[in-house]
Amino acid sequence: MTIAAESSTVTRVPFDPEIAPVLDAMAQNQQPALSRETLHLSREGADTLFPSAAEVIGDLPIDAADLVIPGPEGAPDLEITVLTPRGHDATRAALPALYNIHGGGMIVGHRSWETARLVELVAELGVIAVNVEYRLAPEHPFPAGVEDCYAGIAWLSEHAAELGVDQDRIVVMGGSAGGGFSAAVALMARDRRGPAIAGQLLLCPMIDNTNTTVSSHQYAGIGTWTREANLLAWECVLGEELAYSTEAPAYAAPTRAADLSGLPPAFVEVGAAEPFRDEDVEYASRIWAVGGEAELHVWSGGFHGFDMYAPGSELTRAALASRFSWLRRILGR
Amino acid sequence: MTLDSTIRPVPYDPALEPGLAAFLELVEGIPLRADTILANRAHFATIIPPIEAQVAGRAVTAEHRVIPGPYGAPDVEITIVRPQRASAEPAQDAPGVLSIHGGGQVLGTRFFGTGELIDLAEQYGAVGVAVEYRLSPEHPGTAAGEDCYAALLWFAANAAELGVDPARIIVSGASAGGGLSAAVALMARDRGGPVLAGQLLNCPMLDDRNETVSSRQYDGIGAWDRNNNDTAWDAILGSDRFTDRVSPYSAPARAAALSGLPPAYIEVGAAEVFRDESIAYALRIWAEGGQAELHVWSGAYHGFSGFSPDAIVSRAALDARDSWLRRTLRLPASPSVA
Repeated sequence: MTIAAESSTVTRVPFDPEIAPVLDAMAQNQQPALSRETLHLSREGADTLFPSAAEVIGDLPIDAADLVIPGPEGAPDLEITVLTPRGHDATRAALPALYNIHGGGMIVGHRSWETARLVELVAELGVIAVNVEYRLAPEHPFPAGVEDCYAGIAWLSEHAAELGVDQDRIVVMGGSAGGGFSAAVALMARDRRGPAIAGQLLLCPMIDNTNTTVSSHQYAGIGTWTREANLLAWECVLGEELAYSTEAPAYAAPTRAADLSGLPPAFVEVGAAEPFRDEDVEYASRIWAVGGEAELHVWSGGFHGFDMYAPGSELTRAALASRFSWLRRILGR
Repeated sequence: MTLDSTIRPVPYDPALEPGLAAFLELVEGIPLRADTILANRAHFATIIPPIEAQVAGRAVTAEHRVIPGPYGAPDVEITIVRPQRASAEPAQDAPGVLSIHGGGQVLGTRFFGTGELIDLAEQYGAVGVAVEYRLSPEHPGTAAGEDCYAALLWFAANAAELGVDPARIIVSGASAGGGLSAAVALMARDRGGPVLAGQLLNCPMLDDRNETVSSRQYDGIGAWDRNNNDTAWDAILGSDRFTDRVSPYSAPARAAALSGLPPAYIEVGAAEVFRDESIAYALRIWAEGGQAELHVWSGAYHGFSGFSPDAIVSRAALDARDSWLRRTLRLPASPSVA
C-alpha cells in the first residue's frame, strides 16, 4: 500500500510564537532523519541520556524504586520504576496510581525520558506513579509492545494492595506512542475484562496508522514528529503489509476499533499544529458519539509534545493546569 | 419528535448537576417554542441583573450610547464598560472586547454579556462594548449580525477616543453570541473591515441544520436542548432554513471558506447540543491553515462555566480561556488594572 505524496496546496496551522523558536533551534542543529538505518543512533545510550530518577527527584519527598515484574506469558520480564510519596504507608492508606507508558513512536525512547513529567504529577497530586519499559519495534513488532504495557498494568492492579494503591483509581497515561498504547490498553482491559482503569490520559496520542487526515499531511517535513517519522514507525510496528491499512488491529492503532463504548473516561490533549491533531479529535468525537466520557484540548499553535520541548511557555503552563484539573476530577470521584 | 433509544447522551459531571438544575429552573421554566418566544423573552429579561447592580462595587464604569446602525436600519444601543481609573488620563492602548450576548438570537439583552466585560476590565484593563442587536422573529435573517458588525465598525473607528489599541480588539460571545461573533469575524474578513485580534466563541450556535450527533443526544434533556435550538433557527431563518439561502452571517457553519479569519478560541461542553458543530468549525479552520484553540470540557452542559462557576471543571475552563486571552492579546501573566 502506498501513501499519496504531499499536496502542494496544504497550508499549515502556524506555531505559537512563544514556542516556535524551539523548532528553529532544532533546525539549526539538524539530526539525521529517523530511518531504519539511523534508529540505532537514537537507541544508543537512551537509558542514560536523561537524568536518573534520583537526580530528577532531588529534594522532593518522593521515593523511587526499580522493580522487575513478569512480562506477558512466554515473554521476558519487564522493568518498571515506582515513584511513591515519601512516608506513604501501604498498610494504612491506598493512593491513586498513574501508570505511564513512554513515547517514542513505539520505535525509540526509554521510560527515564518521562521521569520528570511523573515526578511533577506525584508532587502535585500525591499519587503513586509506575513507569513501564516495553519492547520496541521493529525488533519486537506488534503486539510485543502493547502486550508488555498491558501485562504491567495488570500486575499493578493485582499488586495494588501491597503497593498501597487504590485498585479502583488507576489511570493509564502516556504521550505520543505512549498515548496510543494507553488507549490500546484501555481497549484490551475492556475486551478481556481485565484490570479496572479509572481513566485514560492521552497526550498527543499516536492512534491512527493510515496517515490520511489533513493534519497528517500538514506536518510533513516539519516539527518534532513528522509525517515521515510516523510512516516509518507504523511500518516498523505493523510490517509493510498492514502498515497503513484499515485492516490493522485495534490494539496497534486504536482508531481501528469498531466500538469505543464502555471505555474509562478519556482526556485527549494535542497541539493544533501537529500531525496527530485530527486523529485525536476524531477519537474523542467517536467516544462522545456512543455516550462515553471524554475531555478534549487542542492547544493553539502547539507542536507535537510541546510541553516537553517548551516547558516554560504559557501554552505548557495552561496545558498542565487542564491536565491536573481533569486528574483531580477523575481521582476525586 | 420520536426518542431514539439507540442514542446515548454523554453523562454530566456530577459536580455540574446542581448548576444545571438551577439553570433549568431559573431560565427554562417555559419550553421555548414558536408561541412562547415572547413570554420567554419577558421572563429572561427579569433574570438579567440591571447594569447598575452589575457594576456596583466593581472597579469599572458603564456608559450607554446610541450609535449608527447598519445602512438603512435603526440606530444601535451600546454600553461601554471601562476600568475605573485613578487619574483623569484616558486609557491608552487597552485591549478592546466587543461582547455579543446569548439567547438564541431570540432572547436576551446586552446586559447578559456585560458580566464578562466587567471581569475583563478589572482583570486586564480592557475596554468593552456590549451591543444591543435586533432579535428574531421580528428581525430575522442577518439583522442581528449586521447590528453587531455596525458596533464593531463604530468600536474600531472610535478606538482612539476609547483608549483602545485598534490592533487588539476581539469579538466575544456565548451561545448565539458565539455564533454572531463568528459571523462578525466573517463579515470583517469579507468586507475588508476592521482586523480583529481574535474571536472568542463560547459554546457557539453556528449551524441551523441541527443534524450532528450531539444535536440528537440532547433532545428533551439539558440546557438549550435540540428543541430550543430548532425553535430559534426557525425564528431566525423561516422557510430559508435548511436551504442554500441561509447566510453564513446568520449561521457561520454555512461559510464556504474559513481561511483568513482571526485566531479563534472555541470552548464547549461535551454534554451539549453544540459540541459537534463547534468541533467541526475548529477542524475546518485548521484544515485551511488557520489558528484555533478548542476545549471540550468533560460532562459539561451548555453555559456551564457561567452557572456552575465554582465547579473544578468550570475553574479549569476559565483558566484556559484566560490563558488564550493572555497569549492572543499579549497581556501580562500577572493580571493588573492599568
